[in-house]
Amino acid sequence: MNLIDPHIHCVSRTTDDYQFMARCGVVAVSEPAFWAGFDRSSASSFADYFHHLTDVEPARAARFGIDHYSWLCINAKEAEDVALARQVIRLIPPLLDHPRVLGIGEIGLNKNTPNEIAIFEEQVDLAARHDQLILIHTPHLADKHKGTAIICDILKNDRRIVPQRVLIDHCEEHTIRMARDGGFWCGLTIYPVTKVTPQRGVDMLEQFGPEKICVNSASDWGESGPHMLIDTLLEYRRRGHGESDVTNVFYNNPCRFFGQCPKWKLEIRNSNDGAPAEFCRGPQSNSKFE
Amino acid sequence: MPEAKNTIDNALLEMRWRCLSLAADLDRLDRAQAAKSDPGLLKLHEALRVLLDARANRAERVQMIFSDQTPPPPYGKAGKR
Repeated sequence: MNLIDPHIHCVSRTTDDYQFMARCGVVAVSEPAFWAGFDRSSASSFADYFHHLTDVEPARAARFGIDHYSWLCINAKEAEDVALARQVIRLIPPLLDHPRVLGIGEIGLNKNTPNEIAIFEEQVDLAARHDQLILIHTPHLADKHKGTAIICDILKNDRRIVPQRVLIDHCEEHTIRMARDGGFWCGLTIYPVTKVTPQRGVDMLEQFGPEKICVNSASDWGESGPHMLIDTLLEYRRRGHGESDVTNVFYNNPCRFFGQCPKWKLEIRNSNDGAPAEFCRGPQSNSKFE
Repeated sequence: MPEAKNTIDNALLEMRWRCLSLAADLDRLDRAQAAKSDPGLLKLHEALRVLLDARANRAERVQMIFSDQTPPPPYGKAGKR
């Protein structure tokens, strides 16, 4: 069984986590740029961070047979400092051709402030001008519903944005419908204290269907871990879903979304025998889910 | 979708400990003499009432109890493109 964790912050994780993921069959990860647990003091810190994401971490992951891809942006929390955010945004375009960069992310909102919204709109514009995939961070807890509504509204009103090239992450019971109604991909983040438990994640997979849903751990410096992806897989299997369904959710769906970027090299797999079934070409794929 | 009997068998023991855990949490707050008017606790009590009603989508309704539902700030530069 091969798996993909489509959202994980490896810079905050230990080597033991890489070993654990490799033992569990994780063959690829994608790592969005995020708030590292503290506000950085200058744009040069972000230049170093982007080097870490695009060069250091892929080499570290490769030691365990894990293919590592990344996303670049200024995160919503630090976007509150608009001057710093604009300096960081200027660092991004020259890096978009890097073979490990899949797009712009995770952009979005944190406390739904006017500054965050302004920088979000500027990064949506950046993605549109450079024809990039977009990975969206939706706010935490009490701010999630309002923030997700604002984000979906901005994206839907920008005619350059193709919804199936956008993944709205950290969806929960009260926001997943907004993302799906807009035609976007949805991310379910299995992070029990502030987001979703394995059981609730599987509830949403069953209620809404697995099409255009990616399950991730978003493991970072908080109470989280790559085992959350595995626990969710086990819960899904425990409820009677077969290996074909498991492969579709935990491997093929990330391939379908990421495969819209030609840099993504992993192939969609035939669910029954694990053999490559077709090259992943995103919207052109003839998958039954698309 | 799993059958009802299997769902109950699989879930009941776990639901029991979650229920006990929440009961113990509330007892602990009582012992600490937490203010009954605390906004977070009031929302929790509202959410607990949702658990006992017979209507569907309890998880979504509980999420909305804990959500900020004030109007958003003005936005829309990109929206005019």
